[in-house]
Amino acid sequence: MKKGVYLKLAVDGIRKNRRLYLPYMLTGAVMMMMFYILAFLATSPVLSHMRGGTTLKTILPLGTNVIAVFSLLFLFYSQSFLIRQRNKEFGLYHVLGMDKWNICRILFWENLLVAACSMISGIALGIAFSKMAEVSLFRILQEEINYNLSVGVGALIETIRIFGLIYLLLFVYAQVRVYCANALALLLSVNTGERPPKGNWFFALVGAIVLGWAYYLAVTIQHPLQALLTFFIAVIMVIIATYLLFITGSVVFCRMLQKNKKYYYKPNHFVSVSSMVYRMKRNGAGLASICILSTMVLVTLSSTASLYLGMEDSINDVCPYDINVEITSYEPTVFREDTFAAYRRVIANTGVAETAHREYPMGEILGVVGDSGIFFDMNVLHDFSPNAYGKHINVRLLPLADYNRIMNADERLEAGECLLFSKEKPYLDDTFAIGNGRMLQVKKILPSFFAEGRSTIELEGSIYLVVQDLDTVRDLVVSANEEAGNSIGNLIWKYGFDTDMPEKEQIAFSRKLRDSVRTFFYDADDNLITNYSYGINSKAANREDFLNVYGSLLFVGVVLSSVFIFAAVLIIYYKQISEGYEDQSRFEIMQKVGMTGKDIRKSINSQILTVFFLPLAFAGLHLAFAFPLVFRILQLMKLQNMALLAMVTFCCFLVFGVFYAVVYKLTAGVYYRIVSSMQKA
Amino acid sequence: MAILEVSSLKKIYTTRFGSNQVEALKNVNFTVEQGEYVAIMGESGSGKTTLLNILAALDKPTAGKVILDGQDLTGINQAKAAAFRRDNLGFVFQEFNLLDTFTLEDNIYLPLVLAGKSYGEMASRLQPIAAQLGIAELLKKYPYEVSGGQKQRAAVARAIITHPKLVLADEPTGALDSKATDELLRLFRDINENGETILMVTHSVKAASQAKRVLFIKDGEVFHQIYRGGATSEQLYQKISDTLTMLATGGDGR
Repeated sequence: MKKGVYLKLAVDGIRKNRRLYLPYMLTGAVMMMMFYILAFLATSPVLSHMRGGTTLKTILPLGTNVIAVFSLLFLFYSQSFLIRQRNKEFGLYHVLGMDKWNICRILFWENLLVAACSMISGIALGIAFSKMAEVSLFRILQEEINYNLSVGVGALIETIRIFGLIYLLLFVYAQVRVYCANALALLLSVNTGERPPKGNWFFALVGAIVLGWAYYLAVTIQHPLQALLTFFIAVIMVIIATYLLFITGSVVFCRMLQKNKKYYYKPNHFVSVSSMVYRMKRNGAGLASICILSTMVLVTLSSTASLYLGMEDSINDVCPYDINVEITSYEPTVFREDTFAAYRRVIANTGVAETAHREYPMGEILGVVGDSGIFFDMNVLHDFSPNAYGKHINVRLLPLADYNRIMNADERLEAGECLLFSKEKPYLDDTFAIGNGRMLQVKKILPSFFAEGRSTIELEGSIYLVVQDLDTVRDLVVSANEEAGNSIGNLIWKYGFDTDMPEKEQIAFSRKLRDSVRTFFYDADDNLITNYSYGINSKAANREDFLNVYGSLLFVGVVLSSVFIFAAVLIIYYKQISEGYEDQSRFEIMQKVGMTGKDIRKSINSQILTVFFLPLAFAGLHLAFAFPLVFRILQLMKLQNMALLAMVTFCCFLVFGVFYAVVYKLTAGVYYRIVSSMQKA
Repeated sequence: MAILEVSSLKKIYTTRFGSNQVEALKNVNFTVEQGEYVAIMGESGSGKTTLLNILAALDKPTAGKVILDGQDLTGINQAKAAAFRRDNLGFVFQEFNLLDTFTLEDNIYLPLVLAGKSYGEMASRLQPIAAQLGIAELLKKYPYEVSGGQKQRAAVARAIITHPKLVLADEPTGALDSKATDELLRLFRDINENGETILMVTHSVKAASQAKRVLFIKDGEVFHQIYRGGATSEQLYQKISDTLTMLATGGDGR
């Protein structure tokens, strides 16, 4: 045969099957586009000049890796679907006298054409949309935007390299598939009658148990660090369970319905249930994939968006004031009013204009939660494993005068009395014991307390005690240290103030202030005096950090979500097409036997709807059960606002649901066109 | 009493752009009496399939009337046509047209379920029919598990379980081997003797020779008909062969 023939056959094959090939090429192009965009941003010189561009440069490549792996898996899925659909055509070529080598040559041209089209359009789209992505990234990061279009040569090469490799693998895979197939099997593959699927009770039960277990894990985990670990285990369990349930559980369920004769032999249920069994057997895996992809999209979007939206709260949580100074001494006895005055002078000497400020000393004792107070068991206190979670507690002691000043209150206390505030759980006793030695009379339970500012993650709970004066605070800390025989308590001097300096200057200012404060804590040989620690925190610097991390996470989250969504849409589309072809003949028979077109439409509609929205319903269920776990993990990242997360999650689900419905509507149209075209022929 | 009256039936197919017209049926007239067993014969392209589609209300004629049990089929709309088929007609097809997602039993029940019958009634109706057709043992099997002849018997059961006014058979023996063909034709005669009216379109002289009357269609018209009268199947077979030879050589039989 002439050389041109193969090329012509390949072009014909693609054109005739454009219903299958166009989405396939589009998928390749979109994956490449996303890959290029992320790679482009990661290598973009603009990013290097940006504040915190380094954070982005570590997060973005993670995104490209995910896309590369996912593209490989997903294009393989699409490719094998395509080959399956075209087996009959290849079989016919075979019967007409082509050998496998000829078919492989047609496939070679097909693959080459598809790869070339996808790559060219993918890269063109990538370059076209990279600017848009850059602009939206800068908007997320609240950076200034420039409008120069540029092409990332490095990113371009990387994209071509990775996707060239993927398409090469796909080509080899297609060749192997065709080469291993037998001619007659190719021709008949579409027509063979299929065994009715048997409901596999065992696997269905395993699926249900695994899912229940994963849900139980997700709901019962308390410790944020453990949540992180559990999250991955739970994700894997949920994935396995979803596949099992969709593939076998659904068949078992339909079989149960069929056994119920009263239910089964009704016009509305008869056809639906019986064809559903086959549909689920064939599409169970696809539906499970859709379900998992949807869940991934929803979790990614809702958590990254919540972090981003809850950022100001988190910043205020860490920094109550523009500039916050915190000096901790493990030597409470020498930490006195005159020392504080020296620190104050350093700040005053900078000549900064303070618009508001707050100063107070505070004592801090770490203990083990007891029945009515705390005690010191060093075995428990040194245990930072998840077992000890909820057993540690920080008792913070504040002098009355400072409390009254800050809260603008007029409380009075005698010696041995205290005011108590507990955020985590209500405190009910009249007394509060600190170790064996000290016992305080609780005069009043405070309903609220001022925001304190914590720069580190607090895994322990905390209780605030307001006591008579600073000497009492010091006395309690000292006696706690003595009783425990360890340095478990300390004194802290806190000073925070607002200023009308621009943000950039604030960062420079706090750096300068840190240098001045530093002189207190280094001896003549420039060694750190170990009994102290100090920290100077500015809101501006924190905002920058948060913005970089959460902004990049949000951006990558959105990009990955769009890739996942795209994949889900394509699976849905292919599902509709393959079912359309399968249902054509069934439609014809049903019509001849006496179903009206309307009846058939109704029955098919209800099937498709069920099959279609099952994944969404399960994704919603997964999301609901993942919620507590996700919240615990986000707590590690300083998100405290559960209501915000709940609302963002709910909105994401709603938007996704609407989107899903639109996709359904569009692809159902394709399905009906396939089915009705055959009816007329 | 005539159960089916076909008068001046005409069907013209027009190609998509209306430039070319093909006359599939020119002028078809015949009647079928209650309890009759009629075979319609004709070459490929003679209009047999078109005729059958119109009788099944799957297609509309260009002109003419089809009256089944006093009801005019040509005026019926598409939505009602399906219900009409379900209530009045039974079908047996060359390719069986059993749904592969159903057991034979469920395939047979399909028209009854669509008509809203209860399971109890369906089961009691099926029992004698299944016994008569010799498929009582196969009811729980799926189409892919049984032979062609068995599939066709299930299809016959599906056609007659609704007690239709007319059973339409489209090349029912076309996909069967000779043994299965003989068996099916015997069953058709049994069913006919039980009072079902059968209209069968066929190529097969053997199949046609079992009928009580044979109509020949050529170029869109009923060209000739043969009554069995007192003839045996062998004699009828001979007569049909002669007629077909005459048709093929272009003689005038009228």
